Amino acid sequence: MSNKHTRRARLKLNRPSLRERARPPKQRTPMGQTFTSANYSGVLVMQHCQQCEVVQYPPREICQNCLGDELIWRETSTAGYLLSRIELHHSLWEYFKRRLIDKPWPIATVRLENSTTVFSHLYLASFGDLPLEAIRKGTAVQVFSHSDSSLNSVLIAVSAQCDISQIKDRAAIAKTMGLTTAAERPGGI
Amino acid sequence: MTRITSPNATPTNNPGSYQGVALVAASSIKYSRQSHHGAPWFIGRTLHKMLMETGIKKAEVDGLAVSSFSLGADSAVNLTQHFQLTPRWIEQLPYGGASGVIALRRAARAIQCGDAHIIACIGGDAAFHRSFEATASQFSNFTIDSSFPYGGGGPNAAFALITQHYMDEYGAKREDFAHIALAQRYNANHYPAALLGHKTLTEYQYLNARRIAGPLHLFDCVMPCAGGEGFLMMSEARARHLKLRYCLILAADELHNAHPQDEVQIRAGWSEYVDSLYNNAGLAANDIDILQTYDDYPVISMMQFEDLGFCDKGDGPDFVRRTDLRFDRTGPEKNKLPHNTSGGQLSVGQAGAAAGYMPLVESIRQLTGYAENNQVSNATHSMVSGFGMINYDRGLCSAATILKTGQA
Ligand SMILES: [Zn+2]
Repeated sequence: MSNKHTRRARLKLNRPSLRERARPPKQRTPMGQTFTSANYSGVLVMQHCQQCEVVQYPPREICQNCLGDELIWRETSTAGYLLSRIELHHSLWEYFKRRLIDKPWPIATVRLENSTTVFSHLYLASFGDLPLEAIRKGTAVQVFSHSDSSLNSVLIAVSAQCDISQIKDRAAIAKTMGLTTAAERPGGI
Repeated sequence: MTRITSPNATPTNNPGSYQGVALVAASSIKYSRQSHHGAPWFIGRTLHKMLMETGIKKAEVDGLAVSSFSLGADSAVNLTQHFQLTPRWIEQLPYGGASGVIALRRAARAIQCGDAHIIACIGGDAAFHRSFEATASQFSNFTIDSSFPYGGGGPNAAFALITQHYMDEYGAKREDFAHIALAQRYNANHYPAALLGHKTLTEYQYLNARRIAGPLHLFDCVMPCAGGEGFLMMSEARARHLKLRYCLILAADELHNAHPQDEVQIRAGWSEYVDSLYNNAGLAANDIDILQTYDDYPVISMMQFEDLGFCDKGDGPDFVRRTDLRFDRTGPEKNKLPHNTSGGQLSVGQAGAAAGYMPLVESIRQLTGYAENNQVSNATHSMVSGFGMINYDRGLCSAATILKTGQA
């Protein structure tokens, strides 16, 4: 490797702002990686305890209720209601910093029917013209998983009226939000 | 179908007395936004300062309790060789904003039982270029998998969701949070070590500050920095023999992951032991002369006013509107409660785990009469509260103590 090449590689590593393509956080624990692969072929897949039937999230190795270890990844209901929602105007992560240049990034916490609480990206456009403030706690939403441009499964919350039955509908939403493409910096490394 | 059995969050045991334990030598190392020094420097210099102030020799320190996010490959025991200490009691408390009060509880039992005679309790952290980003992105396994990927906002995102929910639920306004932040800035203007102490803060500046996340704007967020905070613990008899000014522990308690059934955090474990805390101290909320809360965001201080018995749940906004939180009680409000008397993290800075010791160290300084320009007059009792570790959607740790001035 040439000196110049090494310097560029080091710059790319240490100065995310100089990268040509910035992507969402790639890092996951082994449990997070399992969540990602379990969700490649489902709308929303979570851990179900074989002993006590509790569904849990974030993923972990032991059932939070009975401490059993027979946990099965399978589809769960996408239905839930909004707990809280905000728009991010600032991020520590380069991908979001670039997305935030144009408009704030909405996120939410959602309580699903299966009693789990999830952080999710919030697809504001699915609520029609409603401003964020008008989408109150208790609003019915659906949550599905989709892979982002770091190839991790992430959760997206949409209005309960939104059609997410087909994979192409869900893919279109993730694409519109910019999640499936890198945030580019022309002339970057 | 789910059948989650709710954990029993109500402690039935009542902590025994903390009689005979003295806190001395409250010491703070000046904070800096960025520093080339590592955590051992901040911890070691804090220890040095405490020894200089008391005349105690390093070899006499036989206990060490440490909290830090930035020790890297080291733990508390590695520090014993750094400083060539030979303690017979060590403890490491990785509990963020609750570390100080938890260290106090552990160390007090060691003093009472004779496991150690002089214990140094220190929180210290470094702040290298971009180190906060690394800490935030890897704060916990749940953070890595399930919260940081949604915007990379670090704690700001999680606390913005909690703050927005609290505002919607209880009608709190940004002006109410401003009341907390402005009084703290006033206090910081009288505490030279505060990173933002040289700047004043007006309500206009607070309300019109740069937006960060949801209702959180710039002055709702703490400034990550480097620093050290510490105190020494010994028997009351020893403190008197050494003619050191000290304070005593009237009561202390802690509870973690309380109220898991709450959909969004509106309280923490304090609500479960606040009654026994006052009972054990033989005091009521209106006997508290100084309150130090953990103020990583103003809404968390507001929850502490409620959960620690200064007002009812949901009355936090009204409480701050009618309460003067300045250290010198010069505000126009009738109700007086000197609060976060050095400026809190919002105005002094958040030096990692040292932030969990700051409210305690500041209280000891106040009760031993070593505060300077920000000394609270006629203060005998101080309540100190800790909160910490946002593992996923809520802060898990809660701890609180009530301290009393001892005779010099
Ligand atoms: Zn189970």
